[in-house]
Amino acid sequence: MAHYSSQTDDELLFRLRNGDEQAFAVLYRRRHGAIYRFAMHMSGSPAAAEDITQEVFLALLRQECGYDRERGTLSGYLFGIARKLVLRNLERGRSDVPLETDTDEMAPRELAVIDDPLAGLTRHEAIEGLRRAVQALPRRYREVVVLCDLEELDYAETAVVLGCPIGTVRSRMHRARALLLEKLNQDRKPRLAVDAWKPMRCAI
Amino acid sequence: MNCLEFWNNLPLGGRDLTEEQAGHLAECGTCAAQWRPHRSLAAGLQSMGQEWRKLQAPPRLEAGLTAAFRSQAGFQVRRSMGHSWWTPVFAWTTTAAAMLALAVVLIRGYQPAPARPGTVAAPRHTAQPLMQTAVAASDADSDDDASVLGDGFIRLPNAPRIGPNEDYNLVRVEVPGSAMIAMGVSVGEDRATETVVADVALGPDGTARAVRLVSDGGTF
Repeated sequence: MAHYSSQTDDELLFRLRNGDEQAFAVLYRRRHGAIYRFAMHMSGSPAAAEDITQEVFLALLRQECGYDRERGTLSGYLFGIARKLVLRNLERGRSDVPLETDTDEMAPRELAVIDDPLAGLTRHEAIEGLRRAVQALPRRYREVVVLCDLEELDYAETAVVLGCPIGTVRSRMHRARALLLEKLNQDRKPRLAVDAWKPMRCAI
Repeated sequence: MNCLEFWNNLPLGGRDLTEEQAGHLAECGTCAAQWRPHRSLAAGLQSMGQEWRKLQAPPRLEAGLTAAFRSQAGFQVRRSMGHSWWTPVFAWTTTAAAMLALAVVLIRGYQPAPARPGTVAAPRHTAQPLMQTAVAASDADSDDDASVLGDGFIRLPNAPRIGPNEDYNLVRVEVPGSAMIAMGVSVGEDRATETVVADVALGPDGTARAVRLVSDGGTF
């Protein structure tokens, strides 16, 4: 197994195509966590994440799977399949609840927060707050945060997974961070909408 | 570096600023103030990523996929065995042997013809006894080839009969009309020089046993 762990994804793929079970096991253990977490972040459901991870690796087992090393890494290819399955899952379940709808063309707004949104929180509270904020992001921003910030893919690889230019990844990332800060700030300082209250005439 | 360049060239994850970017932050109070929550967010996301990296798919998923891999690999092995190199070789060898056997039989059947004077019709007359012999032989048996192979088959001279439980192969071939005439099959005297389509029944040993005229059109 140690011999296999030093091999590249492409070498392992070649071996598993020739019926090498150990190569499949090593490749699965190397890549399944990131795929599962990505599916989990995007779908918000452990059951859906499990199904999606299974489908991704079953697709890899098929001889006619469309992986081409010239077009990107195997990891990127797996994320690409997972993303398509996530989108299908979201369309089916309509479980995507966007924070707000806007477009990439919108210029990043000036940040309303100056304070550190995570200051004064315990590590657990900070992570839980962040998780909720990431989960509440619109899908297009959530996926760049998950891929770039949480799974540490670079911009180029993320662009391949999303099928968009690097510039789009950058702008989405910038917007996603602004939305995250806004959301965290709102959670930290829940403002009562006192201004919206209006005096009412007593009916009694 | 101005403010726009600073925000447009932020490194991945918002960490590890370049010297130039750090220098801009030292100079620009607005950017420094706006950068502070970004830095905090980046650190928070990094912590979250580390925390979440412990999350793995349940082990049953690997077990299920390994089982799928095994069945897939088994299927591939069986499939590769089914399509190994010797399959086409065997098929072509059998076909070639069948064609050779047919040619030998037809040539042997045709040999008496040149010895007899006359026109193209002559072989048919000379072949008639051969066919009759075959028919007579088959009549003498309890069941003839037609009952096994279907209608229209004529047993070749000196060829053993195909038994009811015996395996045979059918090969469709294109042969000269004269060769069929030599075996007593009427294809029309004017078509003696043309090719006709015939079915040849091959016994389990690969030798031709019986023949049937399919058409006299000369094409498949």
